[in-house]
Amino acid sequence: MAAPAPTRDGASVRPAVPRRPRRSLPLHPRVWLPTTVLVVILGVAWSVIADAHPYILPRLSEVGWTLVDEPLLFLENTWSTLQIALTGVASGAGSAFLLALLMSEISMVRRALMPLAVVLNVTPVIAITPALVVAFGFGMTPKVVVTAIITFFPVLINVTTGLRSIPTPVLHVFETLHASRTEVLFRLRIPSSLPYTLAALRVVFPLSVVGAVVAEFVAAGSSGGLGTMIRNSAATARLDHVYAAIACLAAMGVLLLVLVTVVERRLLFWHESQQTPS
Amino acid sequence: MASRNPRGPPLPHFRPLSNDILGTPVPSSSTLEGKTRGQTSSRTAFDRPPGMTGGHIEVHGLTKTYEGASRAALESVDLTVPHRRFVSLIGPSGCGKSTLLRVIAGLESFDSGEVNLFGATPRELCRRKALGLVPQTPALLPWLTVRQNVALPTRINRRARRSAESPDTLLRSVGLEDAANRYPHELSGGMLQRVAIARAFGLRPDVLLMDEPFSALDEFTREALQLQLLELWQRRATTVVFVTHSVHEAITLSDEIVVMSARPGRVHRVLPVDLPRPRDRQVVTGPHMYALESDVRVCLQSAWEAGAAPDDLIPL
Repeated sequence: MAAPAPTRDGASVRPAVPRRPRRSLPLHPRVWLPTTVLVVILGVAWSVIADAHPYILPRLSEVGWTLVDEPLLFLENTWSTLQIALTGVASGAGSAFLLALLMSEISMVRRALMPLAVVLNVTPVIAITPALVVAFGFGMTPKVVVTAIITFFPVLINVTTGLRSIPTPVLHVFETLHASRTEVLFRLRIPSSLPYTLAALRVVFPLSVVGAVVAEFVAAGSSGGLGTMIRNSAATARLDHVYAAIACLAAMGVLLLVLVTVVERRLLFWHESQQTPS
Repeated sequence: MASRNPRGPPLPHFRPLSNDILGTPVPSSSTLEGKTRGQTSSRTAFDRPPGMTGGHIEVHGLTKTYEGASRAALESVDLTVPHRRFVSLIGPSGCGKSTLLRVIAGLESFDSGEVNLFGATPRELCRRKALGLVPQTPALLPWLTVRQNVALPTRINRRARRSAESPDTLLRSVGLEDAANRYPHELSGGMLQRVAIARAFGLRPDVLLMDEPFSALDEFTREALQLQLLELWQRRATTVVFVTHSVHEAITLSDEIVVMSARPGRVHRVLPVDLPRPRDRQVVTGPHMYALESDVRVCLQSAWEAGAAPDDLIPL
């Protein structure tokens, strides 16, 4: 096998040349081209429809000008929705994390809470929202509560799973060192649950925007926010405002996702999920 | 061999040390370490708990049946491991060798019998952090550096106030001083297991329990690690119970081999290994080794037949 190799032609020798690792740079056409092409195609289709039916879709240029003309309006509303989303996620995910800790340590608490948490999860949040508005008024509170409820369950389930997913051999090492429950919890269970927690946050951060917007729809006419804006603008057929607000929501979602990813990279450098495949 | 010296236990440092482990001179690091630790420190390290030194690991009439199992996992198992002996448990799968190890480690309960580790129960030994465990997988914490992993036992259960070797000394003794600041996911399987062994030796445990620590490694790594383990043990002699399913490994490492049989798990026979210590590559590959190996194999065969399921005995 080795002898004829030098006499072979170029084509058969080629595979022996070490191939460059396929780590494409962000600026490489292979990375940005497919999406760009798709965006252009969708943009053209949009424009065609918008020209034919201006009452169904606004022109993209109109949406753009709306954003440029009134940046403060959109920034303010984005900020108020973002506030609701972040406060909701902080309280919902935070309380879910603490409850998961309690549930993993005290089985009585788990048995008491789990069925209730499941029921809360299967109840449509939109159905609860009007009741919450009645209870808490048109301020921020009902919206934060809705967002908290919507983000609560995924975090609870994931953290509970994460706290229990400890390799037995590691637990055995801790046991032979006579580690206390708190030591096992803080040195072993909580760090092991981090990948699960962050996976939940990845789902829950974008979901918090959903919660905030849903709450704003229901409690419209209140203190502002993109949801309120979309509802009011749609009612008055200001399609450019509607789509500009939607664009703001999308941008907000992406921003939150980037935030989670950055945190994930920093906290989970040791985890398989963060290792680049070689 | 347990040499109950009236003036106290033998100091491991006085054993002749091999100068050509792995065919090379003892690395300067380990000689350095020998100097710095000195005689007094080793005395305090090994003589500390009065009444602890000497004595045996004793298991009497140990019986354990897992819940829902029709047969006992262990049935009236008797085992005596003298102080500072290296004893291997070997046997066909399902003979309960790992179960026995976990019972000795206090990780599992048992139905009847007695487990006595130098006059203490396993729990008491764990409370003093005098029991080291090396599981089958390295069981390191992936978010800690190698050094932090080795130092973990000192950071847990501080009330035991057990003095420990510095993590860097330990890592040097397993040849991983350069990896101290790396994370487990950056290391190979063999390196990980060396870290786990360094961690277990760190508190100078009275008992070291090892559950097939090398079974996932390739042949060459395994043999290198066996010799490294022997060297470590030579210097920091503790009582070791080592579970393995490799005959060669059992002979290389042990003073005694406990052959177990399955269904129910019990001690089939105890075979002494009369290879000289310290053992180096020459001893381990010598002709006597092979004679021993065939002895153990014959014994294992009879153990296997004694405990084989009816289906296993179909003639080929």
